[in-house]
Amino acid sequence: MTHKIMLVEDDQPILDMMDILLRRIGYEPVLVPDVMDALDRVRNDPPALILLDIMMTPMNGWEFLDKLRGEYHIRELPVILFTASPSVEERLALMKDPYLGVLQKPVSIPELKAGLEKFLGKPE
Amino acid sequence: MQEIDVRIGRYSVRKTDLIRLFSILLLTTLCIVISAFSFSRSVGFISSQLLFIPILYAAYVYPKRGLYIAAVCSIAFQTIGYLYSYPNAVALLSVTAEAILFIVIAAIIGYFIEQIRSGEVRYRTVFENSQLGIIIFDTKDFSIRQTNEKFAAMLNYPAAELLKKPLLEIFLTPREKSRFLERIGKEKTTSDFETRFAAKDGSSCWVNLSWGQISDDLVSCSVININARKLAEKLNNDNMMKYRQLTEGSPTSILVVQNGYIRFANPSFITFVEYPPAEITGKSLASFIDKGDLDAFTEFAAKWVQKIPAKHSKEFRFLTKNGEIRIGALFTNQVMHMGNPATLVNIVDISEKQRLEDQIHMDNERRRGVIVTVAHELRTPLQPILGYLNLLISDAEGFGIKDDTRKILERCLVSVDRERQIINQMLDLSVLESGKIQLTCSTFALAPLVKKVLDAGGYATKAELTVDIEDSVQVTGDMDRLYSVIDSLLSNAVNYSKPPRKIGIFYRSAIGDKQHHIAIRDNGIGIPQDQFTSIFEPFQLADGTVLSRKYDRLGLSLSIVKKIVQMHGGTITVESVVNAGSTFTIHLPREVHHDA
Repeated sequence: MTHKIMLVEDDQPILDMMDILLRRIGYEPVLVPDVMDALDRVRNDPPALILLDIMMTPMNGWEFLDKLRGEYHIRELPVILFTASPSVEERLALMKDPYLGVLQKPVSIPELKAGLEKFLGKPE
Repeated sequence: MQEIDVRIGRYSVRKTDLIRLFSILLLTTLCIVISAFSFSRSVGFISSQLLFIPILYAAYVYPKRGLYIAAVCSIAFQTIGYLYSYPNAVALLSVTAEAILFIVIAAIIGYFIEQIRSGEVRYRTVFENSQLGIIIFDTKDFSIRQTNEKFAAMLNYPAAELLKKPLLEIFLTPREKSRFLERIGKEKTTSDFETRFAAKDGSSCWVNLSWGQISDDLVSCSVININARKLAEKLNNDNMMKYRQLTEGSPTSILVVQNGYIRFANPSFITFVEYPPAEITGKSLASFIDKGDLDAFTEFAAKWVQKIPAKHSKEFRFLTKNGEIRIGALFTNQVMHMGNPATLVNIVDISEKQRLEDQIHMDNERRRGVIVTVAHELRTPLQPILGYLNLLISDAEGFGIKDDTRKILERCLVSVDRERQIINQMLDLSVLESGKIQLTCSTFALAPLVKKVLDAGGYATKAELTVDIEDSVQVTGDMDRLYSVIDSLLSNAVNYSKPPRKIGIFYRSAIGDKQHHIAIRDNGIGIPQDQFTSIFEPFQLADGTVLSRKYDRLGLSLSIVKKIVQMHGGTITVESVVNAGSTFTIHLPREVHHDA
């Protein structure tokens, strides 16, 4: 079974590219261009991992993360912050969340692969 | 009055007393005889009244002992009375009553006389022993009626000589005399009239007079010598003049503060706080400090009292009369003022400097904000480019890409990677320069760290490496940041040389040397000597034509390296010969003191 990777991202060119790229490296992408839909989508069909952009409107990635982490049944759902914002690491370190990682945009295929495998293991 | 003692057996008696006693006894005897005679002739009205003469006299002269005379008279009168009036009961009663009356009258008179006498004694004691000079003078002719030793001593006169002088003659100047006459003409009672008397030798004596009328013509006047105070005031004025002359033109505020109160302030301070001089002198310095800084100031000022010299200046916010905040740096010195310790306070107005610093700080913050936003905006569009390039290159065959096209795509990828790196470096430098980053220091072995960098960067495949670091070498610093420093220098060494590359990493530090020296040497293109400084400056690719071509990949890495080394309290130097190679040396202190 291929892992479902949810990408919450409001930049269409990135969504398009990641759709192709994730399939290529053996995952099933679930694209969520509107962050307001994301929580419902997770509840209905939880993915194996969420790639989460931070600078989004009307809710930013951190706010979404708070809501997500507030829900018991998805507490152990890994999230990778997928962002072009600098100095995310400091805030991340403070959160001490073992199911939280970060990938700085732009990310290369090897970097993406390594980031995903850290949480999900090697794909079949 | 001269007293003559008369000795009678063991007792010695004053002559006056002896005469008085004699007169009293004589009078008593005489009166008793007369009253006995009057009784025998039944002339009742003389009998008793006559005896009041010796009784009153005795009670007046000797208030206490007068009672004995009264007792003697009383007994004598009663005896005589009984002798002649017996057995007439009414007459006997009357005689007894008279006898008692003698004693009562003598007691009452004695009591009042005693009171009056002790009052006089008290008054005389006060007058003679007073620490104040006292003059009693007549307002008609201003003759001195009475004075005391204290006043006489004040003017160096014998007391007796002063009594002959009219009061108006002892004023120092006619002006003082007329001031006095004017005042006493207006006020019968006054206090604190300051004037000058002339001492016997003609010298001036400052006095403070207070007077009050004691009868229609007599005025009692107390005199205090205020020479010392006047001298102090004069000295004070002289001191103030000196301070004023010394500090008038000073651009810094200069104050003399004693026990927290301002004794002197120069014109600069008046301009600084915008209060008029009258509202400064005598006020506490603390009253000009802004409330928010008051606690810190109190603590600072407490040290003046303990005479702890302030080594450093301290900055406080002052509140001007208009409610404006001014910032002053205070420098203090202990001095003597009027013979007592005081603090000389220099206040340098640094409001403008502070405002500029705040402005610069704000500008820097804003600039960093812009850099962060710009970096975000630059990185986001790179993501699809990088992703697609990766994709195409990773499966060129699958996408039907020919070999030469693939090579073009690979070159695109290198450029994208470089742009990514420059943006990241720009951000790194911005964060480092913000000063918000703290080093996480530990002590670790240098050799394994260098090996880790070499392995991770695959440097062994790119150059012939020589590493000379003893296993025992331990350094103290932020391991992650030093890792990136070494990596950056090695990466530059590779980028600015051509095969066959030779890269050496050397460590040296002599015994007693307070620094580690870590050198990274390459056999690359080298750097002209006049560029040794500018290569460490951000975006200073210096000579735009020649250098940018050769060093265009340098970007910000050396600026970051320099900043990190500086944060460790160290320095970085470069030696280089063009076309022969460069050596970058990090000088790292053995003991890291944070330099943010």
